[in-house]
This record gives sequence, structure tokens and C-alpha cells, in this order.
Amino acid sequence: MDFMAQANKRFGVRTLLVQGLTLLNVLTSAFMIWKGLSLFTNSESPVVVVLSGSMEPAYHRGDILFLHNGYSPIDVGEVVVYKVKDKPIPIVHRVLKVHTETETGKQYLLTKGDNNPIDDRGLYSRGQLWIDRSEIIGRVKGFVPYAGMGTIWMNDYPQLKTGLLATLCVLSLFSNE
Amino acid sequence: MTQMYNFLQRLSGVTSFAMTTLMALVVVISLTTPLIPSDPTQTLTLHSVHTTTGRKMDAYDVDSKNAEYARLTFDLDADLTSMFNWNTKLLYAFITVDYLSDDFSTNTAVIWDRLVRNKKQAKLKLRKHHNKYLLRNFAKTFEGISDANMTLHVNPVPYLGIMYDTPLDSIGVVIPRAVKSVEKS
Repeated sequence: MDFMAQANKRFGVRTLLVQGLTLLNVLTSAFMIWKGLSLFTNSESPVVVVLSGSMEPAYHRGDILFLHNGYSPIDVGEVVVYKVKDKPIPIVHRVLKVHTETETGKQYLLTKGDNNPIDDRGLYSRGQLWIDRSEIIGRVKGFVPYAGMGTIWMNDYPQLKTGLLATLCVLSLFSNE
Repeated sequence: MTQMYNFLQRLSGVTSFAMTTLMALVVVISLTTPLIPSDPTQTLTLHSVHTTTGRKMDAYDVDSKNAEYARLTFDLDADLTSMFNWNTKLLYAFITVDYLSDDFSTNTAVIWDRLVRNKKQAKLKLRKHHNKYLLRNFAKTFEGISDANMTLHVNPVPYLGIMYDTPLDSIGVVIPRAVKSVEKS
């Protein structure tokens, strides 16, 4: 084949566009699967990484938890992930007390971490004694140990994150597919 | 000339096969662990229930001083050794008290719990034990409550996989008792 045509085939506009489209395809499919899973489980974040050691020895930092929220009322003894309205960090703890109002079905929940000596009232908002069903992101349905250590490392060492992104960009430029 | 694979190609092939196998294993383990049979036994006896009021029991609870708190004295004998299989990391054993009240269709509180970490610790023997956690009604007093039950539950936490519940040790339904209000003047 002619040299120019060969060069065009490798680095031409068309190739770049196709590569870009393939990348977009992968990204949007991943996004769709994530959002679909969120809808199915009724949870804003169906997969979370354990950040603290307050549920040891059951769950350690770096474990990945699979959550399913659904719509049914919470029962005592279930491990749930909740996020108090004003605080940004989700917490994984066990439900210690449940009071369900007959008329409204509203649930008053109290939680506690297995490794903590006292219940979570100190973690809730000021003056809040109970958490609501709506503050629950999901109940823990399954987990894989240590699989989330990558996320923890990237959070603790942000250079890792930038380094990883840079490596990926470089690799994708040199790949042929 | 036959096709020779370079190092990177071999590495990529091995890695992708390893990942696929690992994922398949995770699925198989998650699905089969709940099916492993177990045969736990337990006896729960309640000695007495004593209710007091007038002291600030809970630092975060504003009403604490005026609320009624119940103190239960109980014995527990349980053999949970059969619940330890190869995929059991620990057992979370807890005793709940649940009752009905006027405005609330369910009221359940964990009054005692323990993390059982291995077979050696799995034979529980509690004598004249008190509740580990404060028990008070949502309302200030225990008036109007009914159908109180005390149950032992055991929740196994696996090393890997789906969280499951072995059918509750619901034999532990102890004498339903009315937690009456006894004012301490």
C-alpha cells in the first residue's frame, strides 16, 4: 500500500474518532450498569468500600460491601450503611433498636458499631436521637474482603491516583485496538 | 515460522483467566455457604425484670432522667459450635426484647450481644446476666406495652460472600412478661 494511505490508516482522523467512540461506549455502558443497579437496589450507592475500623472484626478497612436497600422495613441486627443528613460520610453499623409507628410506618432506628463501646448518638446530627429509614443507603447483603484496598490507597496517596491516570492515558495511546 | 507469544501476551492471558476463575469462585462460594447445615441449641431463662427511673442513664438522651429503664436478669446456655463452617469468620449472637405498644407496631431492642470468634467461644454460658444496653420505651414509661418476648438470634458473618441468616433460634421465646412501671421515689 502507498505510504500515505498506511500512515492515514494508523494515525488518521477516522482511527482517532473510532477509538474515541469505543472509549465513550465503554464509559457509558459502565455508567448505565451502575445506575441500573442503583435503581434495582433502591440505593444511591449499591457498592461501597469500608473506610473505618468500627465494625471489626466483621468488616475491615478495604472490604467491598454490596448493598440492597429495597423498600421493606429495617429489622434489628441488620448491618446497614447510612448517611446522616448533614454529614457527608456514609457509616456502616449494625441496627440496635427499632421502633415502628403504627399509623405512619415511620421507623426510628438506633445504630452501633460492633467495635464501638457506645451507640451512634454521638455521630448523628446535634440533638438527633434516631435515624430515619430514608437516611439508610442500604443493608449489607454481601461482601468481598480486601477488594477495595485500591480505593483506600488512592485516597491516602493522591499521587497514586494521578500516576494511574497518566499510565492509562499513555497505554491507550500506544494500543492498536 | 510458528506464532510466538511474547511475555506481555502470556501475562495478559494468565491474568484474565485468573480473574475469571476468581469471580466464578466468589459466586459459587456465595451461593453455597448458606446451604451448609447447622444445628445450634440454646436455653434462655429470665429471672427477673426491675424498672427504675430518676437517674440520667444516657448522656445523649435529654429525657433520660424522667424515663423508665428496665433491667433484666437472665441465664443463657447455648451451643453454637455447629454454626462454624469453613466460611464462617465470626458469629454475632444477640438477645432482643420486642413488644407491642399503643402507637408503635414494632418495638425491638438488642439488650445483649457478643461476637463469637471461634468454636472454643461458641459454647455460651451466662448466669444471672444483666442487659448490656439500656432498655427504655420510646415513650417515657413502659405503660401500655404488651406481648413482650425475649429471643436469642445468631447471625453468621462469612469470610466472603452473601450475608445470610440461619433460621433464628426462635425457641428462645421466653416467658412473655409485662414490664410494669415501678416508680422509684
